Amino acid sequence: MTKRMWMALISLAGLFLGAYLTLYKFGVIGTLACNVGSCERVQTSRWSIFLGLPVATWGVGFYVLMLALSIAGLQPRFAESRRLSLGIVLLAGWGVVFTAWLNYLEAFVINAWCEWCLGSAAIVVVLFVLAVTDLRETRAIEGGDEE
Amino acid sequence: MANKRVETGRGRKPGVVKASKKSSTSNRAFYLIIAVIAIGGIAALTYASTRSNAIVNASPVDTTLPLVKSEGYVMGSPTAPLEVIEFGDFECPQCGRFATLTEPDVRKNLVGGGSIRLRYIDFPLPMHPNTWNASRAAACADEQGKFWEMHDALFANQDHWDGAATSNPDKVLKQIGDQIVPDKSKFEHCVDTKQTQAKVQAHWRLAEARHVNGTPTFVIGDQQIGQVINYDQFKQLVDSAIAKSGKTAPAAEGDAAKATTVGGAKDGSKKAP
Repeated sequence: MTKRMWMALISLAGLFLGAYLTLYKFGVIGTLACNVGSCERVQTSRWSIFLGLPVATWGVGFYVLMLALSIAGLQPRFAESRRLSLGIVLLAGWGVVFTAWLNYLEAFVINAWCEWCLGSAAIVVVLFVLAVTDLRETRAIEGGDEE
Repeated sequence: MANKRVETGRGRKPGVVKASKKSSTSNRAFYLIIAVIAIGGIAALTYASTRSNAIVNASPVDTTLPLVKSEGYVMGSPTAPLEVIEFGDFECPQCGRFATLTEPDVRKNLVGGGSIRLRYIDFPLPMHPNTWNASRAAACADEQGKFWEMHDALFANQDHWDGAATSNPDKVLKQIGDQIVPDKSKFEHCVDTKQTQAKVQAHWRLAEARHVNGTPTFVIGDQQIGQVINYDQFKQLVDSAIAKSGKTAPAAEGDAAKATTVGGAKDGSKKAP
């Protein structure tokens, strides 16, 4: 499996994680499964809303974009596209920054942890690492083609 | 690195024909895995929404328990066929979810339609550091006929005054209450001097005596439900309790205009008789 395939699979997992928290925020899911930490305290805090939408919903949007870009990257037309790889790195990088801010809030402002948020943070970091590796490979291909 | 790309079907170099066969098998496997994860994810979400919404914490009301007479805060018609009691904690996230997501429909359709009378009784839980302050402030607002407005504002702004937000909750609670009550100085004096502590303690003792062990806890007819429930479940329990009681609920639903004592509306709160 290629890096982009892994990214697509991991993004899909992240998408369902975000959808789970979004459904909770909209009242479709009554209670969160939460073995560690205090998910409901985090999910009902004022920080769980960003620009009028639940943070989890923004997460769903992020993972949908990552999934779409990763699958697009599997098509022959974009298979060696450095621009696409760069786009994925930038998107994943933004995800890492946003997630770091959310984790900071959990640790120092809300004083509670949500295991689902930590799971999403781990997914975003893995996506970023894969995206950077993918970009380096694309650069190497371009370098090889030029020789 | 470039050779690796050819193997995965992304290069266009010699050997690409052999690689493309490998690639198409790999792609097929990939899309199969994607489909499996998608189906699994949808199934998991469906299961989670069904399971988490099931009523698992319901028990028959113990008829030997002390009756609720005049405690708490009441909204709705005294002639409604059923009284529903909520034991709540202003700092409890689940109570906040019920108050903001479900209760508006309950008020509009069931209280407004005359099917039920809603009674809120404080049950401040020990793990919430600022909940007693909130209950006292709500009781102070009640002295000026503004309990339900304060109730709504407390739940809507829970994260502004809860234990995670501040170690000086009275300051924030006074700011919230000042926007609601007609006499600010009276309200602030009430909060500062903890005038309503005894009232909240009486509510807490009643909940303890009735073996309430969490919030929100609802008493609907002969059932005590110790979990958050959605509107459909709430209505189903109400309908069933009214049917069991042999009384009849008003036919029309959703006429908010009929709710002369609905909290948040201009007529404000109505105390228990």
